[in-house]
Amino acid sequence: MDRDLEQLHTALNSIKVLRSNVGQVFETVSSGLRADHGEEGKENKFMLELQELLTTVNNNLRDVETSVSSLTPPPGPFNLANTTYLSQETTQERQALYGQLVNSYKWTDKIREYSTLAGNILATNSVNKTYKTFSTTKRRKTQTSNHNVAPDVIENLITGIDRLFPDVTITAPRPFAPNPIIQASLGRVLKAIIAFKGLMIEWVVVKAHSESNDLWTESRYKVFRKVTENCHAAMCHFHSPTMPELAVRSFMHWFHSYNTLFSSPCKRCANHLHNNLPPTWRDLRTLEPYHEECK
Amino acid sequence: MGVTVLQQFPIVENRTGPLTIDVLTKRISALGAIQQGQFLVDCETYTSVPQLGNQRTVHVLHNSEQPATVFSILETGTKTIPLATDGLFDLLMMKMNSFYTSKKLTKAESKGPRFEIGDFLVKLGSVTVSQNFKGVLVEVEYKPCVVPAMCWELMREFLQGFLGSSVQSSPPSYLQNRMQEIYTPIDTIHQYLEQFTMYRKTPGMRA
Repeated sequence: MDRDLEQLHTALNSIKVLRSNVGQVFETVSSGLRADHGEEGKENKFMLELQELLTTVNNNLRDVETSVSSLTPPPGPFNLANTTYLSQETTQERQALYGQLVNSYKWTDKIREYSTLAGNILATNSVNKTYKTFSTTKRRKTQTSNHNVAPDVIENLITGIDRLFPDVTITAPRPFAPNPIIQASLGRVLKAIIAFKGLMIEWVVVKAHSESNDLWTESRYKVFRKVTENCHAAMCHFHSPTMPELAVRSFMHWFHSYNTLFSSPCKRCANHLHNNLPPTWRDLRTLEPYHEECK
Repeated sequence: MGVTVLQQFPIVENRTGPLTIDVLTKRISALGAIQQGQFLVDCETYTSVPQLGNQRTVHVLHNSEQPATVFSILETGTKTIPLATDGLFDLLMMKMNSFYTSKKLTKAESKGPRFEIGDFLVKLGSVTVSQNFKGVLVEVEYKPCVVPAMCWELMREFLQGFLGSSVQSSPPSYLQNRMQEIYTPIDTIHQYLEQFTMYRKTPGMRA
């Protein structure tokens, strides 16, 4: 079978070469005498060139013939399974279906090929910063989809986080919904309204305790607006399609470090204020406080 | 409502009150503050008539930051009872004229420009007690934070930024006992009362 395919490939290839050389012959003939043939004996030169090209074509033709003769015709009719019936379709508007089918087959085949390539390249160059390992046993455990999970899985995750940090109080107005919105109060410092899409964090807004729980209005305080911005950055940073639970957990761990938002000075400049704002950035790995300008 | 620190700014010799306010205004504007109107905090003190037995004092205060509220603090000698009511309380005090008489000569107020800078609110007030200029009070509020213990260091840094060395390293005495509690408007009123009482006691200007 493999040998057959190889022969078919060589045959197709020799046809391609033949076609391209024939094309060249016609091109030379159509352009006639050119400047690079010079003045003396230009007709002779042209004839020689043409002869040369025709010899190549001849050789190519011989190649094609030999490679075609070595091909074995496939035994019996092609088995196209159910698709054969498509050609027997009589209604006008369905006759085009076979062509579309072939196109989409080709398309999926290409996608498979490209995605394997992309997968290989991405696996060797780790572009995402989330700390994870690509071991096959772990990968098999994760869900294939992280935005369509059972509500109780999310609920378990949320209660797990609630228990993990004693000073983070989580309230969910509508528990057991597929896409819940939760309020996470961080001590007496701030609260965050977090919208989930399945197991992914989709949106975060940070506000003061006295402000409304609305997801769409931002805080009236500059410091919380800045923290909201940074939360969005962290949300994207921790996002991991293969391990969604870990992503949420690491985000919450990072978020928890804001309980010292007002009380801890910047790690670099050792001041509390810069531009009248406290250190609003927390390092993603060390969780140390930095000013926006100092990080 | 965030944590508020009230402190007096010493007046240097041969500098008048308006001039001091002017200097502070320039400093805070240079830091990028924008003036947002004026403010006024006033305090009137009433004492009970002898027929009521033990003498009690009621301080009635208004703060332009909470314009619909009248704050009152009742001192019985053993206890201090704060009360926040709506505007009708003023009329009630007038009705109680025969039990609680006001000491007109002690009406104290602090008023001046009000600035916003980032999440901070800065008020530069010149204090008068019965129309006599007594000194300058600087009020700084950090709006996003409600627990004094969490943001005192941060506020001290801010205060030092434009008041210089006159800032103490410890919080105002009223706040010291309430560092872990959630800050409410009545706490600001207490701080003002504490300062006003000191101004009333000192004759002339308070250095």
